[in-house]
Amino acid sequence: MALATVEELTFSYPGSAPALDRVSLEIEPGEVVLVLGPSGSGKSTLVRALAGLVPWFHGGRFAGRVEVAGRDTRRARPSELAGAVATVFQDPEDQIVLAQVEAEVAFGLENVGTPPSVILPRVHCALEAVGAAHLAGRRVTELSGGELQRVCLASALALEPRLLLLDEPTSQLDPAGAEAFLERAVASGAAVVVSEQRPATALRLADRVLFLDRGRIVLDAPRDEAVAWLDEHRPAWTASPSTTALQGAVGEVVTRVAGARFAYGGGPEVLGGASLELRRGEVVALTGPNGSGKTTLAKIAAGLLEAQGGTVERTGRAAFLLQDPGRYLVRETALDEVALGARRDRAARALAEVGLAWAERAHPRDLSSGERERLALATVLVTEPDLLVLDEPTRGVDPERKAELAGLLRAQAARRATLVVTHDVTFAGEVADREVSLGAEREAIAVVA
Amino acid sequence: MRPTAAAALLAGLAVAALLAQQLWSVGALALALLCVCLRAGRRARPYLWGTLFSAGFVFLLSPLLQSTGWHVLWSGPDVPVLGQLDVTTEELRIAALNALRLAAVGLAFAAYALLLDHDRLIAASTGRRSVLAAALATRLVPTLERDASGLVEALRGRGLAPAGLKGHAALLSPLLAGSLERGINLAEAMEARGFGRAGRTRLPSPPWRAVDYAAVAGAAVAIVVGALWL
Repeated sequence: MALATVEELTFSYPGSAPALDRVSLEIEPGEVVLVLGPSGSGKSTLVRALAGLVPWFHGGRFAGRVEVAGRDTRRARPSELAGAVATVFQDPEDQIVLAQVEAEVAFGLENVGTPPSVILPRVHCALEAVGAAHLAGRRVTELSGGELQRVCLASALALEPRLLLLDEPTSQLDPAGAEAFLERAVASGAAVVVSEQRPATALRLADRVLFLDRGRIVLDAPRDEAVAWLDEHRPAWTASPSTTALQGAVGEVVTRVAGARFAYGGGPEVLGGASLELRRGEVVALTGPNGSGKTTLAKIAAGLLEAQGGTVERTGRAAFLLQDPGRYLVRETALDEVALGARRDRAARALAEVGLAWAERAHPRDLSSGERERLALATVLVTEPDLLVLDEPTRGVDPERKAELAGLLRAQAARRATLVVTHDVTFAGEVADREVSLGAEREAIAVVA
Repeated sequence: MRPTAAAALLAGLAVAALLAQQLWSVGALALALLCVCLRAGRRARPYLWGTLFSAGFVFLLSPLLQSTGWHVLWSGPDVPVLGQLDVTTEELRIAALNALRLAAVGLAFAAYALLLDHDRLIAASTGRRSVLAAALATRLVPTLERDASGLVEALRGRGLAPAGLKGHAALLSPLLAGSLERGINLAEAMEARGFGRAGRTRLPSPPWRAVDYAAVAGAAVAIVVGALWL
């Protein structure tokens, strides 16, 4: 018998076109289902429907039927489904409730009425399962994004759910971290429904793949069949990292960082002598594991942070795109947001360049996470900098949009030096002339041409 | 020390400061609470500035709005509605007392927000929902501070560092919108994790120790002494 059944589900958020349109599927116990699709195709809505959050939490027009663990989600509230179902959302900071890791993981167990004597053992077992046992006594405010995501997974696994829902849960993890995260989720034995924008690892682990487009399922097939379909119809989703050297003509040095050292607030050193040279005309990918100091080095290069040792030389204007696109939502329309740093005609052109010409009058907070990322990109592109630094610009962006972004950066490469901090090896391969990898030891930099 | 006992002690000291009448005693309580807050290091800064600003405001403004005392130190102009502005020794003493009381209460809250384990406070509470709401509200201050720094950093990354009071005031609206959005996301995650379901249990808490009993007794003593002798 199926663990979850979705029958002819059509759902529209208030005042919007259908986010899901006559979607039907069944999920078997222990099955691993990967949900793919462009931004705004309904992946997150489908995950929320399986958790009962659609329609209970979001409201809107709901037709059809969703049954999970034998309960109709129109009758059972999401809190009543909790335990049988557990969800990990995209942004860990928006789902952490308590201040200390142990209490945070115990939160769900307490809510579903777990006997007190088994709460702590299950908390520690779940933390152990995600490789985060050492974080048990820590405060959540002291953790990195990657550590927070592991705590969120532990909170979900502690419930021992039959259905584990993961909505782009690895967006802040490096490739090794993302792989370990998904492997741990799959090893739990629960049926897993995972939505991903970096599908390589998830494709390897999935039993079955759904592809959504404009709210409809256009593919529902076993993994191998799905890969063949993707290769033929949506090749960006199965693209391998490119090994082709892109080197174009490079010009003068725009920024040179030599032996930079940095520590935050008297803490341990994040950078212990890092060096980097960026020339006009080249796109450089800065890679490395979580916590290796990539963002810190990039901020030093752009002048947002002052190095505490070493030297930094920079000519011309620098612009920096932060990881969180929510930081770029300070005006009432997308056009006003971009025009904050430039003339309106240039702002309109920058919006068009990132594929958001249609959103000129839209409120920035009404845009999806991928669209917000592109809006944020427009706000820095419009300043026409000599050095453009992009920190994880593909977070929440689907592979087809990533390919467009890579094309845009390549097309404009001659105008400036571009530094892209990224975990996305496929994107790095598509966009960069060379890759600078910051090692875990935080000092040595290996340059890969 | 258990957070419940520590919260009781902080509340007791704040109430004692409100009840006490002597400048030196309220000053001593405020100083003691300041020393406690300083244990939080740099995180204490926004709370200390907030407390200093509000207490200073009370000290500077209240003498001008009162008409108490005979020992006039300064006579000012006659202002419509307010009457003649003057400052007396007695008014200064009352202003200093009220400013120190406000500082003591502010510092007690700062110590509560900065140093207590709110998770254990929630676990120990019988009114879990309201205590959880209070704990989340307490976390709002550092979250807002982090969001504000992020907004400023994003603007700097665009070569648009906000200048002056007007520039920073323009960030209030997006800051509020961001907080509301975060609140909605958090509420959704809490619902998905079973919050509000009947029959909840709680993580077993460790037994009370002598220091916890002493802290609660200390709170009661502080209130009584503050009301009767200070």
